[in-house]
Amino acid sequence: MAAARRHRRVAASQPGFIPLKSDLDGKSLSIGRRKRVNKNKKKNWNKYSDINDVEEFLDDVRLQERATGGLIADKTDESLFFVDTGTKESVLEPASSEETAKKSKPLRIDLILQPTSNVAPPKDILAHQRPNAKKERRIAQKIQKLTDMGVLPRRKRPQKVPVKEKPIISKDPDRTFYDIWSAGSPETADPYYLEQTKKKLVKRPEKMNEKPSLLPAVEVIAPGGSYNPDFLSHQALLLEAHEVEVTKLKAETKLARKLAVNKKEFATQETTFKEQIEGLVEEGEEPENETEGPEAVADADEDEAVGPTAQQEKKTEKQRKREKDERIKELQKKAARQMIDSRQQLFKLRSIETELKKREQKTKMRQIKRKTQQEAQKTLPRRLGKLKFQAPDLDVQLSDELAGSLRTLKPEGSVLKDRFKSLQKRNLIEPRERAKFKRKHKLKYVEKRDFKEIK
Amino acid sequence: MGGLQKKKYESGSATNYISRNKARKKLCLSLADFRRLCILKGVYPHEPKHKKKVNKGSTAQRTFYLLKDIRFLLHEPIVGKFREYKIFVRKLRKAYGKAEWGGVERLRDNKPAYKLDHIVKERYPTFIDALRDVDDALSMCFLFSTFARTGKCHVQTIQLCRRLSVEWMNYIVTSRSLKKVFLSIKGIYYQAEVLGQTITWLVPYQFAHDHPTDVDYRVMATFTEFYTTLLGFVNFRLYQTLNLLYPPKLDVKGETELKAEFEEDYAMDSESYLEKLSALSASLARVVSSAEEEEAEMDYFPVEGEDMEKMEARVKAQHEQDKQKKLFEGLKFFLNREVPRESLAFILRCFGAQVSWDKSLCIGSTYDAEDETITHHIVDRPNMDKQYMNRYYIQPQWVFDSVNAKMLLPVEDYFLGVTLPPHLSPFVEEKEGDYVPPEKLKLLALQRGERPVEEDEEDDEEEEEEEDDDEEEEEDDDEEAEEEAKLKEMEEKKSQGKALPVKVTPGKVKSENRHRLEQEEKAEEKRLAIMMMKKRDKYLYDKIMFGKKRHVRETNKMVAKRKALDEASKADRKKKKQKKQ
Repeated sequence: MAAARRHRRVAASQPGFIPLKSDLDGKSLSIGRRKRVNKNKKKNWNKYSDINDVEEFLDDVRLQERATGGLIADKTDESLFFVDTGTKESVLEPASSEETAKKSKPLRIDLILQPTSNVAPPKDILAHQRPNAKKERRIAQKIQKLTDMGVLPRRKRPQKVPVKEKPIISKDPDRTFYDIWSAGSPETADPYYLEQTKKKLVKRPEKMNEKPSLLPAVEVIAPGGSYNPDFLSHQALLLEAHEVEVTKLKAETKLARKLAVNKKEFATQETTFKEQIEGLVEEGEEPENETEGPEAVADADEDEAVGPTAQQEKKTEKQRKREKDERIKELQKKAARQMIDSRQQLFKLRSIETELKKREQKTKMRQIKRKTQQEAQKTLPRRLGKLKFQAPDLDVQLSDELAGSLRTLKPEGSVLKDRFKSLQKRNLIEPRERAKFKRKHKLKYVEKRDFKEIK
Repeated sequence: MGGLQKKKYESGSATNYISRNKARKKLCLSLADFRRLCILKGVYPHEPKHKKKVNKGSTAQRTFYLLKDIRFLLHEPIVGKFREYKIFVRKLRKAYGKAEWGGVERLRDNKPAYKLDHIVKERYPTFIDALRDVDDALSMCFLFSTFARTGKCHVQTIQLCRRLSVEWMNYIVTSRSLKKVFLSIKGIYYQAEVLGQTITWLVPYQFAHDHPTDVDYRVMATFTEFYTTLLGFVNFRLYQTLNLLYPPKLDVKGETELKAEFEEDYAMDSESYLEKLSALSASLARVVSSAEEEEAEMDYFPVEGEDMEKMEARVKAQHEQDKQKKLFEGLKFFLNREVPRESLAFILRCFGAQVSWDKSLCIGSTYDAEDETITHHIVDRPNMDKQYMNRYYIQPQWVFDSVNAKMLLPVEDYFLGVTLPPHLSPFVEEKEGDYVPPEKLKLLALQRGERPVEEDEEDDEEEEEEEDDDEEEEEDDDEEAEEEAKLKEMEEKKSQGKALPVKVTPGKVKSENRHRLEQEEKAEEKRLAIMMMKKRDKYLYDKIMFGKKRHVRETNKMVAKRKALDEASKADRKKKKQKKQ
């Protein structure tokens, strides 16, 4: 490179240098009035010295090098010019050569990707550098030492392929189990560290271990639900089911009765006519009332206006004094009465005692009652959401449905539903309704073509 | 005075609860995921005492959770898995939409999965805690294992449930801990005592499924998911306590016996082992193979703070239990093809019987119907063509009733074609003064060992009938029974005759007198005590006595009803017979 640069500089200084672009004379630049600046500062040298000519010249040199591979001035005349001796006669050839050209012609994309510059690419400097024997020896020694210790160089190390363990899926039918409750080795690490790194799980709140209901998980059906029941217990179960049905029916009939249309309230011709003329006829009918009306209204108005006045007449001194005396007297009277009463209580000690006892007993009774109520509440389904818990229908087989033997038995009800309702009853899940399908857009009716054709 | 004014709903119950929607948003989960998480972690909704306060003045019905519970849920690692799963589904859908099948496969391989082991440990810190809560798990697993593999839930879940329930049944069989069975119209209730815990579970009848529409299958599947994990760990521990191998293996003897020729026809290789296990006809292999299980001898020393009487009672109860465990020992049963095989095999094996069935019915049959050593043949059809002399042909209810009665009931009532006695619920415990059905009374008498008296009564009745109509067409078995009864009666009379001359003692009368005197004295004391009662106490006492009397009156009424019914039915029968004649 250095040689090339020198070469270039030398070429530019020669008087025979031909610039590639014609307007690069240097004199074509418009020379305005020179500005005077102090030249004792380096900043000004940089700012006000004009180096355009040099740069343009260098650009031109680079362009020449790129386009022709060297300076045009250095080229021999033969390489630049040729003697025009007319066209060669090769008329026949193109027809045959066109096909071959088509075949041998490189793709345009390849042409685009060809290097356009004629300047040779810079060579790798390091390639020329002499290998440092000392350094290499040292590296080799180090590797030897490591291999002796058992550490292979990275290139030769077998690549670790991360073996992915298939995680245990809780639903896998062939999954393995182990003793989860065995006392493992106690953790010795810092508990704070374990908690922060999520190695130890957060402690479960104590209240979560309480069961939300006291009911047993599996409630055994009443003895009447046996496949071959004792007569009376079966009857008892039937009675129970019957009572449930009766209450349901009662509610239904009540609703029907309340919603029934009252025939007396149907509009007749008379009532409709009355309704139509309401407000029209009455004025004419009762003229006397009309005259009375306004007066009454006026009276009312006057009364309202009288009302309690904000400012009453001022009390006289005498009045004030008298009122005060009265007040004091009343207070004294009250105090005296209290004194007497409290003294009297001394004599009523016994009755007071009995009264206290009674009251205590009452509170005790109430406490007991409340306790029992709370206990009873523990077995009841709570209100946990929008819907109330609805007890499932009792599973009952009527006397004629009962099968005599196990072979002919037809199971009643569904165990799945029984389990589901049991979960609801024990407050483990809230009762819900199945989400209804809601159509977002209306259905469009389109008559298909086939259908039309048949018509 | 002074201080800042307190704002409403910023302390107290309003801050202790959180509504479901808020909780859901706090956890950044969809409603379905939130519900699943709550079920898995055992977080249940609560009903606050002051709803209006909690609801910030609104009276709308909402579902509330305790805020502490929800805060606790925030730490759960499974929440992250739920989110991952959501993303997985989204990616998968996208890959499907673009028809990138390679991508679909890759995603499928890396499907996020979670396990619930840590939750089981967290919810049940000790093994006994888990065992106490296993009722639900069992019922659910047995239920799901009967489902058809039609896509109502994952097939994998059904398979796992089946495996776990078979393991459980095998444990119960090996430990012989079954106590009660009840055939109801809904399903079969079982009760067992495992390590001192009473465990009840419900098993549906096979092939009895209509899928109800008003049940949330997703919720049920979530519960099942948790319960299968729980039951797996419980099973493992239980097998450990009995020194059994887990996963269960048939012992060598059983395995060679069960090598059926057409095994391949019956089930696939992958399934046949489970099927063999579920047949329940062979015993399981132990870790340390011992020829006979050494019975733990009870120590007959009274525990501290326990007197001799209590100890004796304890020992007696233990003896009774041991006896019950060996109820069917030495008996050989054969199940006909129409009886419910699994439940019967389970029960019979629980009490030490040998069971087999027809080869084509199920895998694992050990002997044929032609075997001469069979003692009981369980049949549920009106009659059999080919009958062997040396075995009883009985209806399946005999097995269940015998288990509940803790003794082998007389087989006569359960012969082929005989109208069965009612199947009583063993879960009912009558208090004193309650109405007890006569069948149960008879059973109690039998348990006490008063068999002859009962038979006498029955005989009397039968004799009456015989007087009424001379030619009675009764079946062979009944006649046999009668003959037996008569023989017994005669024996008794003989024994009484022998005893007569020995029994003459003057002291006996006196002792009776003393006893009577004592009673009279007691009654007198009681009367005096009643007279001395305060008015208030007297009132209460009268009330209690009235209640008791009413109870007795009601039971009497029931008894009278029953009697009337019996008589009516008897009269009907007689009429019919007369008509026949």
